[in-house]
Amino acid sequence: MNVLTGKSLPRRSFLRGLGAAVALPMLDSMTPAFAASVKAPVRMGFVYVPNGMDVRNWNIDYEGKLGTLSRIMKPLEPMREDITVLGNLTHNNGRALLDGPGDHGRCCGSYLTGIQPKKSMADIHCGISCDQIVANEIGHNTRFPSLELGMEDARQAGDCDSGYSCAYTNNLAWRSETQPLPPVLDPRVLFERLFGADAGLSSQDRAKRNKFRRSILDFVSDDTRKLERDLGPTDRRKLDEYLSSIREIERQLERAEKDNVHISPGMPEPYGVPADFAEHFKLMTDMLTVALRTDMTRVFTFLVTREGTSRSYREIGIPDGHHPLTHHRNDPALMEKVTQINTYHVQQFAGWVEKLKSIPDGDGKLLDNCMIVYGAGLCDGNKHNHEDLPTLIAGRGGNYIKPGRRIVSRRETPMSNMFLTMMDRMGVHADHFGDATGRIDGLNLT
Amino acid sequence: MQLGQGRPPVGIIYDSDLGNRIDDVLALATLYGLDGKNECRVVSITISKPSLKAAAFGEVIGRFYSGAVSGAFNAAGRNLPIGLATEGPRPEDTPMMKAVIDSKTAEGKPKYEHGIHSLNDTAEPHAVIRNAFTSQHDQNCIVVLAGPATNLVKVLDLPGTKSLIERKVRTLVMMGGDFSGSPTVEANIKADIAAARKLFAEWPGEIIVSGYEVGAALRYPASSIEKDFAWAQTPHPVVEAYRAAETMPYDAGTWDVTAVLEAIRPKENYFKLSGPGTVQVDAEGHTKFVESAGGKHRYLSVDEGQKERVVKAFTELASAKPVVRAPRFRPPVEKKPEPVKPAQ
Repeated sequence: MNVLTGKSLPRRSFLRGLGAAVALPMLDSMTPAFAASVKAPVRMGFVYVPNGMDVRNWNIDYEGKLGTLSRIMKPLEPMREDITVLGNLTHNNGRALLDGPGDHGRCCGSYLTGIQPKKSMADIHCGISCDQIVANEIGHNTRFPSLELGMEDARQAGDCDSGYSCAYTNNLAWRSETQPLPPVLDPRVLFERLFGADAGLSSQDRAKRNKFRRSILDFVSDDTRKLERDLGPTDRRKLDEYLSSIREIERQLERAEKDNVHISPGMPEPYGVPADFAEHFKLMTDMLTVALRTDMTRVFTFLVTREGTSRSYREIGIPDGHHPLTHHRNDPALMEKVTQINTYHVQQFAGWVEKLKSIPDGDGKLLDNCMIVYGAGLCDGNKHNHEDLPTLIAGRGGNYIKPGRRIVSRRETPMSNMFLTMMDRMGVHADHFGDATGRIDGLNLT
Repeated sequence: MQLGQGRPPVGIIYDSDLGNRIDDVLALATLYGLDGKNECRVVSITISKPSLKAAAFGEVIGRFYSGAVSGAFNAAGRNLPIGLATEGPRPEDTPMMKAVIDSKTAEGKPKYEHGIHSLNDTAEPHAVIRNAFTSQHDQNCIVVLAGPATNLVKVLDLPGTKSLIERKVRTLVMMGGDFSGSPTVEANIKADIAAARKLFAEWPGEIIVSGYEVGAALRYPASSIEKDFAWAQTPHPVVEAYRAAETMPYDAGTWDVTAVLEAIRPKENYFKLSGPGTVQVDAEGHTKFVESAGGKHRYLSVDEGQKERVVKAFTELASAKPVVRAPRFRPPVEKKPEPVKPAQ
């Protein structure tokens, strides 16, 4: 709030410049004079990892308060008071149900829709995903109704699993029964979507322009100076920290682009995509953090790698493809590699959760106002089973979820029940969703 | 359905108040006997009373016949979850259930292993039944109700399930009511009168009812327990339950068994079938059959001449040896080359 004028900044304010707009985080000045503190919005997101898990090393054998976590979840142990681990959630519509092979296509297509996808490569048909149901209701409050992120493959056609279109394995979000929302894979594209208007440039044009490119912050510097004059010392410090974090993302992108050229010139990687998995993950989640922090969006999906992927993980010494490894036929050496990949994924996620936990938001931290599901659409990648799906939620959903617990539901409890419960928290009260039979008992505090 | 394979045997959804009377157990044994002969596949077991021991009892019997009960599910990487109702008064553990679940070996270990130790080891019955419908070919599913209709009416309340039933279910065969003119209210109806009324009013397909008088007239001979199960080299849960249910020797009523036999062998004419009509249930639970050309309900009766053949079928099927099926062969997964990532 400006002390002299008594006017407060709007919650959604931007620093503007030529071809650029930078959203602002929550500042004290956005609180109206003498008003109670502004309640931070609740954010809902889904981080999906493919090919199931090595469930021997994912599952924990107790319910209630979280203590020692399993080997795969170990990286989350410092944040165990902020996560809820769920058991026995099932996606019946991921099962064959007379449609034969294609568990990878079905499990990803049904994951957020709760609907059995139609087995087809051309006539795709699924359901509206729960994130989009929420985005349709509350998306008008933010610049982006939802964000869709990925890291691997955005093909929307062709056969990706036994007659299932790649649209099923390569998307999580479905705007309508026939329209998936492809994820953004390239950090540069995401950056420009969030902060600039030149996302449509070709790689060559972008490279040409980048020769002369300055920081996006340079374009909004006039606006920044004007704003700083009206801010108190606390807000000035917050703004400085925030703009520094954007500059750091820019530097990471520059490094990634240089590294790409340096490490593997001529590789068919999209421009600006880091060769290193962890670096790519961090870039994407850093930008997502900015988007959540500045209330650009309250809903997101993040398909870490596509369902059925055969990506290798040379970064951690695993040259084998992920999918073939999961069909380990109980070979201990292969199972060990699956566990290492699963753990590596959780490690990246844990790093992000830790960051969310450090960022102020409203009366608490950004993580407190998030519900971020981390999970897989298959239970055991070797068995291709669709019950007891590996699932956890990071965050408290704005004091809605009491984390630090493991909640085990009854067998066959639809995953859709959890989504209905989360949709309630987002203010979207649906009578029914997917194959839901109700809500998850004990998940919320109400 | 896989190319080159015929339609699989009819899928059976069995919902009962297992453990109340020995005929529940004999009915389950008969189902597995028919499953072993490839005349049906047991695809869902649910219990309509809130008894963890009853669910464990169901799983013990299922495991005993494991090849038959879980073959289809194991092939798909599943084991068959037992659905268990959680509402209603908690029933007492009957002697037959205790005889099986609580019995120990000489080493003090449970004689019959099972995996049901808490409510979370069981499943929501309406989800189990609905999911079982979705796994069956159209008109290749039969529901056998051998207890109160509590679970089935919950299934009716799930969105979209009525049309699913119309598509998937050939018929519902149930033991319940009394069509002999007796003033007694039959136990399955009495246990949940509201559910019975709703079921008869709203079930979207055909219902065939075996009234109390049918099972009461057909007695399962104690002598069968003594001689037809002699093949069992290890303790047999059905035999132990039978011996514990009442003082031996006794011939048990076969109420639920009649429903199973009619469900899976309707063309064998084991019973007489009424014309179409409607079963009405009054507020006290009395049942009445009203004939009508467009009615979706029929009821069974049995005459003296049919009894011997029916009881022979009961004893042969209930005492059949379990048939263990090998898991379905899964060909090795071919490693496909990773597709080239397109530029975005």
